[in-house]
Amino acid sequence: MRPFSTEYIIKSLKILAPFIGKSLLVMVLSVFFGTVLGFFLAWGRLSKCKVCKSLSSVYVHIIRCTPSIVLLFIVYYGLPKLGEIWFGIRAGYNGKLLYVVITLSLLFASAMCELFRSSYESVDVGQSEAAFTLGMSKFQTARLIIIPQALSSAFPVFCNEVVSLLKQGSLAFTIGFIDLMGEAQVIVARDYGAHGLETYIALALIYWGITILIEQITNAIERGRNKWN
Amino acid sequence: MELNFAFLKETFFLAIKGLPTALEITFFSLLIAVIPAFFMALARLYKVKIISPLVKVYVSFIRGTPMVLQILIIYSLMPSVINSFAKRIGSSFNVFNVNAIVYAVTVFSLHTMATLSEVIRSSITTVDKGQFDASRALGMKTLQTFRLVILPQAAVEAIPNLGTLTLNLFKETSLCFIMTVKDITAIAKIQAAYGYNYIEAYIDIFLIYLLVCSAIQVLFYIIERIVKTYKR
Repeated sequence: MRPFSTEYIIKSLKILAPFIGKSLLVMVLSVFFGTVLGFFLAWGRLSKCKVCKSLSSVYVHIIRCTPSIVLLFIVYYGLPKLGEIWFGIRAGYNGKLLYVVITLSLLFASAMCELFRSSYESVDVGQSEAAFTLGMSKFQTARLIIIPQALSSAFPVFCNEVVSLLKQGSLAFTIGFIDLMGEAQVIVARDYGAHGLETYIALALIYWGITILIEQITNAIERGRNKWN
Repeated sequence: MELNFAFLKETFFLAIKGLPTALEITFFSLLIAVIPAFFMALARLYKVKIISPLVKVYVSFIRGTPMVLQILIIYSLMPSVINSFAKRIGSSFNVFNVNAIVYAVTVFSLHTMATLSEVIRSSITTVDKGQFDASRALGMKTLQTFRLVILPQAAVEAIPNLGTLTLNLFKETSLCFIMTVKDITAIAKIQAAYGYNYIEAYIDIFLIYLLVCSAIQVLFYIIERIVKTYKR
């Protein structure tokens, strides 16, 4: 067995650290677009329009049943072709960041749709009826009555989903996108696979650190809000 | 966009041959993980010294790192460990003869252990604590209490979470191609490489996963319906 070198872990950590930003950028962009799309999906799901309802539930079902890596490849190979045929744009396979963000947003949107729906439904119907009787408009009811209550149950789940999005983002290396995981693969390849284990452990430590940090921030915010209430 | 439908159809039936492998990995990983996961959950619940914090760290690590990374770590660690072990006991065992499925099952059962222990722990906590005391008052032993009172109720509570866990586990077997396992993804990818028909190949994988995952969901829905009758 090849000697295991702890020094190499520290060395890889130093090389990998600058790429944390890129992974986080992908995460933030996907969270933003995913949340927007998820909001509209949840709106469709909760609306009275039957077509919107079934479209949104079919979307959620399909995403739930698709491994993220398969979706990533379909987006990566399929979208440029669609662009070429429909719009005559030769996008090529260069803007990898775009494809990764699109894939992750699609994944996140489905999770957000479910989250918005369940937290909306967790607020008693009687409350919005009561608000109507008091003469509040639909918008006012949502802003003042429903959203504040729905938020409190949704927040921890939201953070969980963000963590799982970050982890799914690591699959981007399969299309050659250089984020944390991609750079780790580059390091491993540069050494002809000699120090694979050490590099991967270094990367695992980075991911673990980020998730623990997100969890701690979540807990701190939760605690702060409980005190405030 | 002109899809190559002949290829699409042909690859679909080729790739579906990888389905037993994927199901095998899912099934054996769950089977192997059940008992350790149960004891891990108990250790957390009873706050056993030393073991409980270790389990906590383990679960946090598994949940805090991407699945691909866990696969890569085990896949680069295990062969050399097996090799040096074989050398030490003096056998002429060749590591290259180990089927890649063994590595896959190892990774996925290590992963499932952590997630399953959380599912079991949360389902046991849903059973009211008063029931423990009531069973104690009736003179039942701890083991009896678990077997007759707690576990039947906890199992009913655990089923929806168990369904999600199985679904995610099955979806994650699509990453097995990294370990050279010939599963659905690997077969379709090999087919695609001949004529650069990647879109068709991925649509095939997508369809297979869609079908099987829907089936898993229906299965768990039926189980839930049956079990619900036992609920008060």
